[in-house]
Amino acid sequence: MEPIDQELEEGELELPSQPMSLNMGPSHPAMHGTVRIVMELSGETITKADVQIGYLHRGFEKMCERGNWTQVFPYVDRCNYASPMLNNVGFALAVEKLLGVTVPERCQYYRVVLGELARIADHLTSQGAMAMELGAFTPMLWFIKGREMIYDIMEEETGARLTHSFGRVGGMAKPPSDHFKPMVAQVLPRVLSILGEAEALLLQNRIFMDRLQGVGKISAADAIALGWTGPCLRATGVPYDVRKAHPYLVYDRLAFDIPVGQEGDNWDRFMVRIEEIRQSVRIIEQALEQMADQGPVNVDDPRIVLPPKDEVYSTIEGTIQHFKIVMEGIKVPAGEAYGYTEGCNGELGFYLVSDGSGTPYRVRIRPPCFAITAGLGGLVTGLMIPDVVPTFGSLNMIGGECDH
Amino acid sequence: MSRKLIEILKERFGAEVLETKSEHGDETAVVEARAWGKVAKFLREDPRCEMDMMVDLCAVDYPNREPRFEVVMHLHSIRLNHRLRLKARVGDSEGDHAELESVTSVWSGANWFERETFDMMGIVFTGHPDLRRILMYPEFVGHPLRKDYPADRIQPLVPFREGYEKLPPFDHFEGMSFGRQVFRSGKVD
Amino acid sequence: MPTFKLDGREIPFEKGDTIIRAAHRMGIDIPHYCWHPGLSVAANCRMCLVEIAPPPGQRPMQLDILEWDAEKHDYVVAKKPKLQPACQIAVAENMEVKSESSPEVEKARSQVQELLLLNHPVDCPICDQAGECRLQDYWLEHQGTKKRMRDEPVHKPKAVVFGPTIVYDAERCIVCTRCVRFSAEIAKDPVLDERQRGNLTEIVVSPGRLLDHDYTLMTEHVCPVGALTSSDFRFKARVWFLRSARTLCMGCATGCNAYLDYDPRTMTPHRHRPRENMAVNQYWMCDEGMLSYTRVTGDRLLEARIAGRPSTFEAALAEVKRLFAGVPKESIACVLSAQHSYESNFALVELASKFIGTTALFTSGKPKGKRDDILIHEDKNPNTLGVKKLAPSARPFDQLLEGLLTGTYTHVIALGTDLPGQPELLEAPLSRAAAIVTMASHDGPFVRRASVALPASTWAETEGTYINSRGMAQRSERAIDPKGESRPAWELVALVGRTLGYATEWKKLKAVRREMEPEASAPADRPVGA
Repeated sequence: MEPIDQELEEGELELPSQPMSLNMGPSHPAMHGTVRIVMELSGETITKADVQIGYLHRGFEKMCERGNWTQVFPYVDRCNYASPMLNNVGFALAVEKLLGVTVPERCQYYRVVLGELARIADHLTSQGAMAMELGAFTPMLWFIKGREMIYDIMEEETGARLTHSFGRVGGMAKPPSDHFKPMVAQVLPRVLSILGEAEALLLQNRIFMDRLQGVGKISAADAIALGWTGPCLRATGVPYDVRKAHPYLVYDRLAFDIPVGQEGDNWDRFMVRIEEIRQSVRIIEQALEQMADQGPVNVDDPRIVLPPKDEVYSTIEGTIQHFKIVMEGIKVPAGEAYGYTEGCNGELGFYLVSDGSGTPYRVRIRPPCFAITAGLGGLVTGLMIPDVVPTFGSLNMIGGECDH
Repeated sequence: MSRKLIEILKERFGAEVLETKSEHGDETAVVEARAWGKVAKFLREDPRCEMDMMVDLCAVDYPNREPRFEVVMHLHSIRLNHRLRLKARVGDSEGDHAELESVTSVWSGANWFERETFDMMGIVFTGHPDLRRILMYPEFVGHPLRKDYPADRIQPLVPFREGYEKLPPFDHFEGMSFGRQVFRSGKVD
Repeated sequence: MPTFKLDGREIPFEKGDTIIRAAHRMGIDIPHYCWHPGLSVAANCRMCLVEIAPPPGQRPMQLDILEWDAEKHDYVVAKKPKLQPACQIAVAENMEVKSESSPEVEKARSQVQELLLLNHPVDCPICDQAGECRLQDYWLEHQGTKKRMRDEPVHKPKAVVFGPTIVYDAERCIVCTRCVRFSAEIAKDPVLDERQRGNLTEIVVSPGRLLDHDYTLMTEHVCPVGALTSSDFRFKARVWFLRSARTLCMGCATGCNAYLDYDPRTMTPHRHRPRENMAVNQYWMCDEGMLSYTRVTGDRLLEARIAGRPSTFEAALAEVKRLFAGVPKESIACVLSAQHSYESNFALVELASKFIGTTALFTSGKPKGKRDDILIHEDKNPNTLGVKKLAPSARPFDQLLEGLLTGTYTHVIALGTDLPGQPELLEAPLSRAAAIVTMASHDGPFVRRASVALPASTWAETEGTYINSRGMAQRSERAIDPKGESRPAWELVALVGRTLGYATEWKKLKAVRREMEPEASAPADRPVGA
């Protein structure tokens, strides 16, 4: 039998001396969504990183130019699929800004509560996923357990766990259900206790701490210049939160703190998100208390809001109203507006241009992830390959949003 | 609050500020395309403006207008907490000569936003360090967000990328060969 | 020009104008149902009520009314201004009219609208008018309230057949009498009228008659609601899916301006309706013209044919080359068609005179037909004057037949398929021809006798200029993609020219137009040379 290395020439097995390129993703367990990072390595240290996105590009902005304004809601659901309710509310607020209408107070509280629930769910998911990527599988199950409780509320209220399409211009698809308040009030303490248990598993864990602390640091000035917002910016110590800086809905009536970090590293980003969950719980508790049990949810304008179904079937007025809104769409006056809210990853902006017809002329989404992911390349340069995983995880890049 | 910004801009740049308006609580200033970089730098550095964050940059296509594209930038100041929408108009009716100075040197975050605007609308940012497509693949033909790009257009098939960013560890003669099928690059007749 | 004030805006007017007409001319819409700019005033819908300030020194016109006082829980006596219909009041200099700026007017409109919808059936989902219905538009604009009446609405006859083209639904009807007035005033056939009174009123056809004059489809077109529907368009398409192209009617030499509504998804035309042009057809069109869109899809020549058998384009052109090889130019005759556009005829004239060098030009087209004093012209060809202008020396078709019989001409290149004259008289001369090449959009007498027939696009599939009986050059837009293998006729002429070895290099309509004289190539719905 011939030896297998018979034809091997000398030197072929030597390690290459030039920098090695390594391709991480687009299909990689740690690249949530689908992102590709092409890295140039010197040993195990990353000397250059090119982050390539677009694998989840679905032409969101182009699609929006084809339907009417209401038909955008299912699309925004699928932009940030970890917290679709916040996107729904953000888009509805932007269109309402352009229309010049304000929804009734009850609806504003409703939107706040649903939005903050979505924020909690999002933070739980993203931090759970990050922990899992670092080998901590059990805490992930804990986090997901908490998230599922919130998804149950969402399902009860909207009919769907994930893609609710629940927002409407000028209100919500349905008023809050009768048992909405007790349901939320019951779930919140359980979520908090689950969070406490998961924290106990992670925050004392040497491996977890070592892989987060001091890794993926960014200065406040750099973060601002990159356009970072949300928890990632606050982790660098900048207390910028759209809910405080430019209050919308009823956030100015609710007391909550903005958690900030100091170092701007992965640990700070993790801790800011964990603390934000607690703040969101605070917000929800106050909002539930202040929210009226009765009263209208939708604005009283036949040009914007659909009539009740029984009227559509039995009266000509209802039929006409339904027909006009469904077939021609809500007529948004010509103009432009930039509506921005605090999404779970930062400032979620919608820049809308209307030509006065029932179809949007241009819907521009400003996804918070896009600016944050833009900074990823710089962040991991100089780190080691395994550091990419927690750094990427702590940024919480959401593919659907980042890639439009 | 940010109406003051418009006054400052008008005072500093005079006729180069083509148009200003404020609607729905948003302040807008349209500036000459030539002055784009200059205005951006001023807004970033002037202590009264201190627009340290570039929130968003995109473009809107108006095929019947000349210049055809509006490049729209949203700025924000963290400390002074004010906002401004800055616009410039570029490009002829065919969509050519849409060029604008890059502001990546002013805000590093503009890098990807400008790449996206180039990708989607075909606006060339001069002085951009790395202007390539970002959401679309390199072989994509056209710019999808232009109004004259039909939503149902079918793109040509991309030929196999021979040698394109092929990474050394994965070539067929390297690494461990077991359990891996070797796909020879190149066309199948 | 004298002016009056409407909502504070100065509006110029001409002597004898009503408020609504002066506003309409300025592009301001005062809501209305029964008023139509081309018809007499009925003032029965009460939608156009406006408030008119009294002349200086006079008391305002006011009405005593009873108003519900919620606090006293009783009616109290109040006054409100007397509103007047804008469609009937003649404008006077410096008159002050409040339309949108008056809360009373807004209230009145809302209430008129509510009354009109009182007995209206819930028909929008099955109504052809939905999407372009005044009731829908004005409800959203001026009413926006829900139904208050809980009684059973009045029921009236539905789907009443008025004639071969029109179906009437009395429940949807608001009795604006536009159709009645149209039939009497424009079509000059007072065949419609009202019957009964109050909320039982309905439109009826005169006993013993049908609604069967030449303009019946116009009654459907003037109907502001879905009461009259055309049996041709009924349940065929939903209007919000349709797109419109600005076309011309090809039915006769009048050249009525029209819109061709087509479905862009299937590229099917669905209806032809008038487009306002005061110099040509005003607001109207005849039935034949409105139904002429069916010719776009019906009876088409969609593939090349050699001696009546389908073939490929290449084979057909090769056959043309074979047939015309070595033929002396004196025996080639070219036939222009008054059915085809100025551009296509221009291309053929170029081919004949500049390239082939023959002076044997003839004209063809449809034979003369019915005429009236309203719109219908006896000449059934849309471009007779265009052909005459292009080739003043072109001879009538009979002379070609004579030439063929005597053997002067043996080879014919023609546009179109329609031929004037008796079909049995055509047989002998046409069978004497050695070769006939025709470029036609439809099957017809010429195509059936042609050695080679090439498929041309219809007017709906290509742009073109046509000169109508009054010498106005008008342009018709392209609506749909060419069907089958058809191509614009001028392109076919260029193709035939190239096959015969000539430099007919036009690839685009622009190139043809560039070679045409500037006068005819830049018409904007106005008389040539005017």
